[in-house]
Amino acid sequence: MATRRMAHDVAIVGMGCTPFRDHWNSSADDLLVDAVRECVESVPAIELDDVDAFWVGTQGSGMSGQTLSRPLRLRGKPVTRVENYCATGSEAFRNAAYAVASGAYDVVMATGVEKLKDSSFSGLTAVFPPADGTDVDWTAPASFSLLAPAYQRAHGVDDADLRRTLTAIAVKNHANGALNERAQFRKAVSAEAVERAPRIAGPLGVMDCSGVSDGAAAALIVRAEDAHRYTDRPVYLRGMGFVAGAGDGLASDDYDFTTFPEVVEAARVAYEQAGVTDPATEISLAEVHDCFTPTELVLMEDLGFSARGKGWVDVLGGRYALEGALPVNTDGGLKSFGHPIGATGLRMMFECYTQLRGEAGDRQVADATLAVAQNLGGQPGSCVAFVAVLGNEPAKDRGAA
Amino acid sequence: MPEPGIAAYAAYVPSYFLDDVRLDPDAPAAARGTRSVASYDEDAVTMAVEAARGLGRSPAASGHLLLASVLAPYDAKTAATVVHEALGLDGGVAGIDLRGHRSGFSALDLAAGTGSLAIAADLRQTHPGAPDELAQGDGAVAFVGGGSEAASVLARATRTVEMLERWRLPGETTDRVWDERFTAQLLVEAAGPAVTEALRAAGVERPDVVVVSSSNARAAAAIRRALGSDGADAAVETATGWTGTAHPGLLLADALDRAEPGATVLLVSATDGADAMVLRVGDGVRAARGAPTVAAQLAARRRVSYGTFLRWRGLIEVQGPARPASPAPAAPPIHRRRGWKYLLEGMRCDSCDRVTTPPGRACAACGSLDGGKPVSLRDRVATVVSVTQDRLTTMPEPEVAMVVADVEGGGRLTGYATDVTAADVVVGSRMRPTFRRLWTTDAIHNYFWKLRPCEEPTDGD
Repeated sequence: MATRRMAHDVAIVGMGCTPFRDHWNSSADDLLVDAVRECVESVPAIELDDVDAFWVGTQGSGMSGQTLSRPLRLRGKPVTRVENYCATGSEAFRNAAYAVASGAYDVVMATGVEKLKDSSFSGLTAVFPPADGTDVDWTAPASFSLLAPAYQRAHGVDDADLRRTLTAIAVKNHANGALNERAQFRKAVSAEAVERAPRIAGPLGVMDCSGVSDGAAAALIVRAEDAHRYTDRPVYLRGMGFVAGAGDGLASDDYDFTTFPEVVEAARVAYEQAGVTDPATEISLAEVHDCFTPTELVLMEDLGFSARGKGWVDVLGGRYALEGALPVNTDGGLKSFGHPIGATGLRMMFECYTQLRGEAGDRQVADATLAVAQNLGGQPGSCVAFVAVLGNEPAKDRGAA
Repeated sequence: MPEPGIAAYAAYVPSYFLDDVRLDPDAPAAARGTRSVASYDEDAVTMAVEAARGLGRSPAASGHLLLASVLAPYDAKTAATVVHEALGLDGGVAGIDLRGHRSGFSALDLAAGTGSLAIAADLRQTHPGAPDELAQGDGAVAFVGGGSEAASVLARATRTVEMLERWRLPGETTDRVWDERFTAQLLVEAAGPAVTEALRAAGVERPDVVVVSSSNARAAAAIRRALGSDGADAAVETATGWTGTAHPGLLLADALDRAEPGATVLLVSATDGADAMVLRVGDGVRAARGAPTVAAQLAARRRVSYGTFLRWRGLIEVQGPARPASPAPAAPPIHRRRGWKYLLEGMRCDSCDRVTTPPGRACAACGSLDGGKPVSLRDRVATVVSVTQDRLTTMPEPEVAMVVADVEGGGRLTGYATDVTAADVVVGSRMRPTFRRLWTTDAIHNYFWKLRPCEEPTDGD
């Protein structure tokens, strides 16, 4: 089985990301136009028409490549619409990267968008194909909350310690989001506010859940050897793994709900390509899929940042805070920045890009050289997972031109 | 034609009871009695399945599945076919719906003589505040006829009398009732000759056990008094209310639970006339019981509050979360996956022997595409691997537990917990599958299996 590095390395040379908000006055079309404009305008050497091909990720805010080509009135351009649950934005990025690496195109753009706030429902909804009616009608928080009791049981964590851990994750991500003008919730929250929020599923309250929001993001990707034509601070894709799970965690009786095996495998591939052997010490910062607070806890272990069963201790010890040894979700994460599904993967890239270029202002992680962007969708036991390693230096064995 | 009789029987008493119907908790207690209450996810079909699945035997190949109910989940569409599918009966067994208050007795009567499977199941509804609010209840009972292990039928007799006693129009869920003193008189008058004729034909002068069911409580009391009932039938009724078509069978099941082999039983059902049957309890009566005794099931019930009861029955509408209705199932996928949907059949892999749920072309454990054999998981115990409580549920409850549970012998079930307080389900809880109505969307009832605590009522035998 081959999960090789691409024939050419690629780099991000420009990005755009709308604020994630209740954008009552903007449609998905408007948000895409805003993100694409910011992205293109960030690279003086590029006009929109210079982009050879486009990818647009959306879970449900449009169908086909016309989701992008129509609002921008792109003429004669190939646009691919992708969908991969909540990893949709990363999937747009991944396929765009492969296209430029293949040599078929020189400049490509990955975009992602979701317009969730035109619905009056609480949380996320989705329309599935006609079925036999035997599937549990999971809400997202219910399905992810399965991690909590299983983790407690496996690692002997009592209710109070688990609660403190989940609260610490929420408090941390809101503190980071408070420093970020693009975040949906720009306000620090107290532990008390987190813990007295109305309960939604299992031990999870509203403040354990990511924000439901509208937003879009975009990235310009070129071959690494071309990157300095467009910017003096490109951000290089150093490794990338993606796994669509077999769903065996719900269909057979092995999986124990304390891990995302799909993430573990995607991370293994990404780290191997990037030459990362000890992520706990080599990674400068990580953007991870904190859709719900227990997800971030489990991801700390799946990504190799904490030893199995010790993630909660590291969380409580402040290891993942902005000032900690390995800052996680420095932009606020899904929790505070918000989670417009199709945009989220690219929003993670945007923070990694911003940090690796040293442009993160009050949130800047000192000496950031390697960042992880980890994005997933589905539910524990049956998910899709993306992990990328990004760096401010090209891979040593393939220096930039 | 063999001697008519009952080869096996099983009662199903739902898990809840209601004994307080005060809208104002400060009001003095008024209504007396206790009614049995089915959960919000039960209906005549699901209770019929739960009653019959414990029987352990199928109807004769030439027999029928007779489903008696006055509150079938669909008009026009046959309800017995759902039960037939969920019981995995042979396609050659005809599934037939019977309706009307008399049909519970009629199903038993027909099954006894033909080796058929008779199931009677009803949910009884009244308006809040109705004088008989606690005198109506929910329940089901199933009999396999054509043997005499439980009892042989010595004789039967009937009187059909047209009367306006208890009725409703299509689409209504609560009965209209005529002055019960008038109808009691007609029912008592009908029961007299039916009983006399049956006892004479059976050659029984004085039966050992008398069991009387009537849609009219006044008539029931009068007939019991006249025939010398020992009060056991009335005692069950006080605990359940009148359970409609299920009632004569439910009371008979309770009598069989306790009767000694050789005893004679007179069963009377007085509704829209009267039916009488004389039975002799069989030597195999204990082994013929396919479920915990009625008494044990009654003792295991939990009290439900009036507010919860009203919400479950849709008699008050409670503001739920801003969530869409759960999707209606579609007919072709239901049909393609009927083994899974109705029989909870996973696939045991021919290559690695592991079980995949739902079944598919590929084994979830080893990936083999070489197929496997169906394995039914519905009668197995499953242990909870993880659990959550959904507080955005569109079901008529503040929270519903959803579990992932591993089945003894292999296989994993992901589903809703029921008949349990959501917070009481924990990792390690032991559950067993139970057939329920998950939801109704776009006028389609979505039936599937849930998981309920597997602590069975103990019978001490």
